[in-house]
Amino acid sequence: MGTFQTVNPGNQPVWVNTNNCKACDICVSVCPSGVLGMRYDPSSTLGAMISVDHPEACIGCNECELSCPDFAIYVADKKEYKFAKLTDDAKARQKQIASNNYMSLDEKGVR
Amino acid sequence: MAFNYDKYLRVNKMPTLWCWGCGDGVILKATIRAIEKCGWDMDKVCIVSGIGCSGRFSSYIDCNTVHTTHGRTVAYATGIKLANPDVNVIVVAGDGDGLAIGGNHTIHGCRRNIDLNFILINNFIYGLTNSQTSPTTPRGMWTVSQKNGNIDPTFNACNLAIGAGASFVARESVIDPKKLEKVLIKGFQHKGFSFFDIMSNCHINLGRKNKMANAMENLEWIDGITVASRKWEALPEDEKFNKFPTGVLRDVEQEEYCEMYAKIQDAAQGKRAKLTQDDFEKKI
Repeated sequence: MGTFQTVNPGNQPVWVNTNNCKACDICVSVCPSGVLGMRYDPSSTLGAMISVDHPEACIGCNECELSCPDFAIYVADKKEYKFAKLTDDAKARQKQIASNNYMSLDEKGVR
Repeated sequence: MAFNYDKYLRVNKMPTLWCWGCGDGVILKATIRAIEKCGWDMDKVCIVSGIGCSGRFSSYIDCNTVHTTHGRTVAYATGIKLANPDVNVIVVAGDGDGLAIGGNHTIHGCRRNIDLNFILINNFIYGLTNSQTSPTTPRGMWTVSQKNGNIDPTFNACNLAIGAGASFVARESVIDPKKLEKVLIKGFQHKGFSFFDIMSNCHINLGRKNKMANAMENLEWIDGITVASRKWEALPEDEKFNKFPTGVLRDVEQEEYCEMYAKIQDAAQGKRAKLTQDDFEKKI
């Protein structure tokens, strides 16, 4: 099955190993700046899969990586990627995503 | 390049068998990160786990691992540690494993103050066997064995460990993995019995019947019952009963069992005189 993909796939702040992801929503809920969101995926057990929607807003806090129980999401090292600062827009987007049942904003928030 | 998990985990066992959002995975991650920060050689680390969801812990870490019988984790680990005093032994047990069937072993491990690191994954329920009341299940919760609400009082595991004589006692939850990692590092470097009561979520077997059906709802509930230990001390007496203080609750230097065991080995081989009461800092 899936191995870890700890090597950066190419100048990304956050990347996901979809083989390990079980779609538990934890990473989406702990993100302070609305980078992540869930998308419908019929091939996944819980019917959704994590997607990185706004990589430019990532502040590199590492919360998603540390809170992920399944070793599925990774954050770049501070030395190899220049992260953004936390903005009010990003905070507002995170609130919207949380109220949208942790789904990406262009998906309907019903599971 | 993120943290190199391949070095510490058995890659062919992934993904984990735990439910989605299970706190055990967060604790597994915090443990291997703490091992890395402590700079331990993986050939000198031994993980001992019992039965339960937490028993899977030893299957995933790539080091010396022992998957033992139900509740006897501390007994096995004591033997491993006495035979190999240079090995860092980490014991992983669930609340049923460490407090119910293995409660006796746990308190005697604490009493001896042997240099083990005891990680108690406290998810408030018997998760693997589908929701029976465990010693830490809060009152009033639905369980399979008490369908009209649990009436058993909740076990305070840290108070038990302090009373039994463990020299390092800490409580943390999976909500703040950064703090969890720091506490684990501190405990791993402590010489003596390190007891960690780590509150974890089981939204599948505890949450679904208790209005916390997804991981975040269960984590928020845990967030509500835990308070930082400094704030907890300032709470009025009647509120203290329903909250659990987090952080390092006890950190003292005490005589360690392996060192004293080496002394009696020397005495048995005639290298030194027999031990008397004067050889100990605290007598009786």
